[in-house]
Amino acid sequence: MDFFTSIPTHIDYVGQAKAEKLYRAIITLFSIVGFIWGYIVQQFSQSVYILGAGFILAAILTLPPWPMYRRNPLNWQNPRNPEEKTSSKKKK
Amino acid sequence: MYSVLTRVNAILTYTLSVLACLTFLCFLSTLTVDYRTTAQMNTVKVVVKNVPDYGASRERNDLGYLTFDLKTDLSNLFNWNVKQLFLYLTAEYVTPNNELNQVVLWDKIILRGENALLDFKNMNTKYYFWDDGNGLKGHNNVTLSLSWNIIPNAGLLPNIPALGQHSFKFPVEYTQTRV
Repeated sequence: MDFFTSIPTHIDYVGQAKAEKLYRAIITLFSIVGFIWGYIVQQFSQSVYILGAGFILAAILTLPPWPMYRRNPLNWQNPRNPEEKTSSKKKK
Repeated sequence: MYSVLTRVNAILTYTLSVLACLTFLCFLSTLTVDYRTTAQMNTVKVVVKNVPDYGASRERNDLGYLTFDLKTDLSNLFNWNVKQLFLYLTAEYVTPNNELNQVVLWDKIILRGENALLDFKNMNTKYYFWDDGNGLKGHNNVTLSLSWNIIPNAGLLPNIPALGQHSFKFPVEYTQTRV
């Protein structure tokens, strides 16, 4: 279990915005194409399958933490030295 | 959107919302379709008997017996929002007891993709034509009509009457023998 939780899956804030835009665009596009195609062949199941393909594509592109979503890491402050910490705790 | 689980949740929710939207659009696209069409029907043999109705009260009631021809082409009723048709043939008549009598004599399910060009000759009815009394003997205006119930992927389930009916008479004498 520790092994699985140790895999980094997070993506940074800019990456999150990018991923959200991407999956919305993909799924919306596939649904429009699916609707038109389903209407042409008069089979609603075709529309559902095409939407399902869009879901799978969106999942592949946005679920794993691809490097393109991790290009803007947050610049955290460096940790203060441990001695100062312990002294502040003592004061409390 | 931070962890994998929240991303799975977001994508799945969005996909299902879009699917619901597509289904609704599919319903809207077939809202104005006219599902009426013509059907020709005819009765071949018409007989009325007077026998005890053990299913109800053991009184002797009129039992109609008839065979019919039916010819209609329903293949143009199917579109992407019609999964199946439920056809039913009803007899409608007026008696002194009741202002409106409706008896379903026969029905059939046609799935999409099955043969919808119907041409039946001398068909037996599937269900008994019981009258709740003695209203059938000598009745001179019984109307046979076909209707269908449309079962869609999404939307309404309308009952559509076919264009075309057939009126027939019952004989004035009961038939005693087996038919």
